[in-house]
Order: sequence, then structure tokens, then C-alpha cells
Amino acid sequence: MDKFSLYVPNFLPCKEYFEPKKNNACPGCGISLAVRQTYKAVETLIEKAVWEKPASAKATGSLLKIKNGKNEITICFDNEAGGNLDKAVKKSMPAVAVAEGYKYVATASPSYPFDLYDKMKSAIDTDGDAYIHVLCPCPEEWGFECENTVKVGFLAVESNAFPLYEVGTGFYNQTIKIVNQRSLGDYLSTQKRFKKITDKQFKKAEETVKKEYAKLIENSQPE
Amino acid sequence: MEATSKFSKKMVECSLIDKGAVKPFKPGKLKKSLPQWDKDRCIKCGICYVYCPDGAVQRLDDGYFDVDEKKCKGCGICHRECWFGVICMVEED
Repeated sequence: MDKFSLYVPNFLPCKEYFEPKKNNACPGCGISLAVRQTYKAVETLIEKAVWEKPASAKATGSLLKIKNGKNEITICFDNEAGGNLDKAVKKSMPAVAVAEGYKYVATASPSYPFDLYDKMKSAIDTDGDAYIHVLCPCPEEWGFECENTVKVGFLAVESNAFPLYEVGTGFYNQTIKIVNQRSLGDYLSTQKRFKKITDKQFKKAEETVKKEYAKLIENSQPE
Repeated sequence: MEATSKFSKKMVECSLIDKGAVKPFKPGKLKKSLPQWDKDRCIKCGICYVYCPDGAVQRLDDGYFDVDEKKCKGCGICHRECWFGVICMVEED
């Protein structure tokens, strides 16, 4: 395989698989970024892939299903758009997937491209169905400048609002370990969609994040 | 495969699809700015290449990077993420 001999894209294939004829995505689209990185990881398997809802101009929370021999990889590109804020707690889809008996379940973020790349590769190697949940920041819906897409993705992970982990047969790992945790306020204050949030709601959100993270630490294996 | 179909039904609830909130972006209306590389300071790390959402950043034969003007939408992620601040956004005429 023809690879870059440079420092950062050292592990990525040179060939660009993501070349849509008409790219209607907004500037700084998180889904576009995640899809491009995914295509690089799955390479030729992408020819048999099916979009559950076509990734058209209105690509919001799309599902990509990739056939890998007998097995199937399901990838959810979640941009949390159009969500009803009254529904306080969002369903944790990875947890549902684990309960449904998927052999490999992981969360990923396009801000950590090599983490995402590794997870796609492990999903392909898994003997059984796999599910990957990708959080894609959306500048239009979340309300931030389009140049901050990657930064907001980092903040989501660093504030433990969206921890990156993988679950397989016999292992439960937190792949990106945050040493200096940021406060949830750092993450929420970058986005206009949380402008009207009250103190009570904020405290509740903070507690939920803490609880979810504690659950994750409890489940994950000690080193 | 029954479990999978049941699962995707649940998933559609979470993957919020087309509620009319998002308008399709029409390129060409905005006055966009394109990234420009300062080749004296560029270390050819390639972080701009990795983080470009549209695959607009391309590698030249000499190892430096440049933009494909047809693909670039001027989002400025490369400018923001460059470790050395080599990339600056220049507005198009």
C-alpha cells in the first residue's frame, strides 16, 4: 500500500476514497470529516456499503451499513441535530448495541482520526457484527464557528461528555484516557444551542456525565 | 439478522433524520477565503491533510501541501488546527 512517509498521516493510505460528485455539505461539516476518515479505513469494502438514509444535503444522523463477508458493520454518524431539548436524557446507543449482542461496539470522534481509524480496522477484523457510534459536531445546528469543528470534538471528549471506548468479547477499554479533565461548562459554552440552559439543567447534566463516566470506569478493565 | 432489524428501528429514533431544520448548503453564494501556506515555516506534518472535511488539501510532489480550489469551502479548520500557525486564510477576490 502506498503510504505517506510524513509524521502525521503516516498510517493513512494515500488514496482518497471520499470523492462525491456533488458535495453539498456545509463548510466545516463534522459528518463529512468523519465519513472521509471512515472511507480511508474501510477502503475497498465501501463499494458494497449502503446508506440507511442517503447522505444527501440534509445529512443528519445517518447510518452506514457495510457488508464484510457474512458480518455487518453499522456506523452511526450522530450530529445530535434536530433533537428535542425537552427529552432530557439521550439514549446511549452503544449501551443498547452491547445489550443487543453486537460483538464489537465502539465510540469514536473525528477529532481523533487515528483512534477512529483503528476502531474501523478492529470492526473489520471482528468475527461478528460490529457497531460504531461517531459523534460529529455540526456547526450549523450546534451554533459555533465552522473552523472550530475539530476543537469542539476535542472538548466533548476532554469533558467526558462523550468518552471514547470500545467493547468486545473479553475486553472493555477506554481508548483515550483524559488526564486533565475539563469542566462541562467549557464544552457547552462553545455552542449557541446551550445558550438558554438554566443552572438547574446544567447541574443535572453535570451529574449525568459524572454518573455515566463512573459507570464506564467501573466496567473498564484496570491496567 | 432479526436482532439487527429490531436494533435499526430503535436507532432511527436516535438518528434524527430530516426534520426540516437543516437547510442544504449552497456553495458559491458565500465569499470564501482560501488557505495559504507559508512554506518557510511549514514542517510538512500533514495535520491539515488529515483534518480537511472535503479532502481539498493535497500533497505536492515536493512534500508541501496545497489546496484544491474547486473542493475547498473555506471552513478554516486547517488554519485553526495547524500547530505552527503556518496557514492563513486569504479572502478571494
